[in-house]
Amino acid sequence: MNPHANMIIMSSLILGPMITITSSHWVMAWVGLEINMLAIIPLTGQTTTTHEQFEASIKYFLTQAAASSLLLFSIINNVWNTGQFDITQPTNTLSSTMMTAALTMKLGLAPFHYWLPETLQGTTTMMTLILTTWQKLAPLTLLMMINQSLNTSLLVTLSLLSMMIGGWGGLNQTQLRKIMAFSSIAHLGWMTMILTLSTKLTLLTFYTYITLTTTMLLTIKLLETNKMSTAMTSWTKSPMLNATMMLNLMSLAGLPPLTGFMPKWLILQELTKNHMTIIAATSAILSLLSLFFYIRIAYYSTITLPPNMTNYSQQWRHKNQQKPYLPLMIITSSMLTPIMPTFMMIL
Amino acid sequence: MVFFMFLFEVCFVFWIISVASGPSPYYGVVGLVFGAVFGCLMLVGVGGSFISLVLFLIYLGGMLVVFAYSVALTGDPYPSAWRGYGDLFCMVGYVLFVVGAVMYCFDKWSLEGYGDVVMDASGLFSVRMDYIGVSWFYSYGCVMFLIAGWGLLLTLFVVLDLVRGLAWGTIRSI
Repeated sequence: MNPHANMIIMSSLILGPMITITSSHWVMAWVGLEINMLAIIPLTGQTTTTHEQFEASIKYFLTQAAASSLLLFSIINNVWNTGQFDITQPTNTLSSTMMTAALTMKLGLAPFHYWLPETLQGTTTMMTLILTTWQKLAPLTLLMMINQSLNTSLLVTLSLLSMMIGGWGGLNQTQLRKIMAFSSIAHLGWMTMILTLSTKLTLLTFYTYITLTTTMLLTIKLLETNKMSTAMTSWTKSPMLNATMMLNLMSLAGLPPLTGFMPKWLILQELTKNHMTIIAATSAILSLLSLFFYIRIAYYSTITLPPNMTNYSQQWRHKNQQKPYLPLMIITSSMLTPIMPTFMMIL
Repeated sequence: MVFFMFLFEVCFVFWIISVASGPSPYYGVVGLVFGAVFGCLMLVGVGGSFISLVLFLIYLGGMLVVFAYSVALTGDPYPSAWRGYGDLFCMVGYVLFVVGAVMYCFDKWSLEGYGDVVMDASGLFSVRMDYIGVSWFYSYGCVMFLIAGWGLLLTLFVVLDLVRGLAWGTIRSI
């Protein structure tokens, strides 16, 4: 891309969520979301070889534009009813329900998740990384800021639905980016489950999810693999990275003692404190679905060798392109559960 | 004055429905222009004279002019206007939707108390106190102004990047 355009677009990509996060006025929050959406559209539409690729950015744009206009409508309704534009003041029921719908549409929660797998599949791996981590920041922050006006039943329903769809939808996938999309849907379900009960835990889940997803997508990028079939033979490019990919996948699934277990454990504890035991048990059971496809990737990529001759060795030339922060992220994504009290104190 | 407001509202709804149900962007732009004109007149009627002028300048004089130019450059050789029963059903559907929405929201929203701050009391002088906005743009609203300007610049670069490869780019035959 043209360097001048790239500079403006990259800085707007950072500026957008920063405006939304630091604003207390609804219109500024909306402006930040719009700047964010505009900036990422050319970035998602850079590769246009296949049909799927050049439809991805259009699908993203249409969904996000519809969500932004719904959010604007609910903002105006809120202003009409309460007479003020402050985010931190409680909103009335219609406004908060419409805001929930708009922001969950932006996040990709069920039942507004249909755009997410196809958009993530149709872009490059770095753009998948940005779409799953950075783009979730602004809508989730807005949801956290209005959490006292939100309807708990609605959010719990949406999150249980997201966990179901994230689990069952990812079962039949062979493309790794689509699997990451369904894992994103399921994790966002966990985040919004606990939103009205404790925003601290939502934030903790979000940070953990960012770390895990970033590590996984950077691993996918370094191993230059997108399908399960190429993931099977990717150990020849970097055996250590393949081994740590398994740890990362188990962490995404939420297995103790890895990092991904920490938010799930605390969420289940918070739910049982609020006498929502059946919902807690249901969400724990639904995470088993995601566990299956994570284990499947780990099985085919790390635990077993693909059929080949006995003398199966690594590649002769290794990759020049390394990410120096990846080892640190792998450690962060595997070993944070023992220091969980620190996070409860910090957050 | 009430009659003016009613007239402007009816014309606004008519032109916006013509935009929504028209099959070609050529005539859609015409509908947008006139719809925006009547929207601005409605804004004046409820007391926002400065905001109406800003909308006229930026939206009509900036965005729509550029949009009309780009539609003229890339439009079809034989644009299709309203013809056939499909467009008629579209229009009837939109009218019903608008009427339904108004019926649903009628007692939630009322127009009382708007435009009370007036400089002249005879009812026809429409310059209201929101003209203070001219100076507020540069003092209290400075940051918003800069961010809005940045947003417009960003939109320009994004659009230029999206239409960069003519037949190979992002917007091909969508």
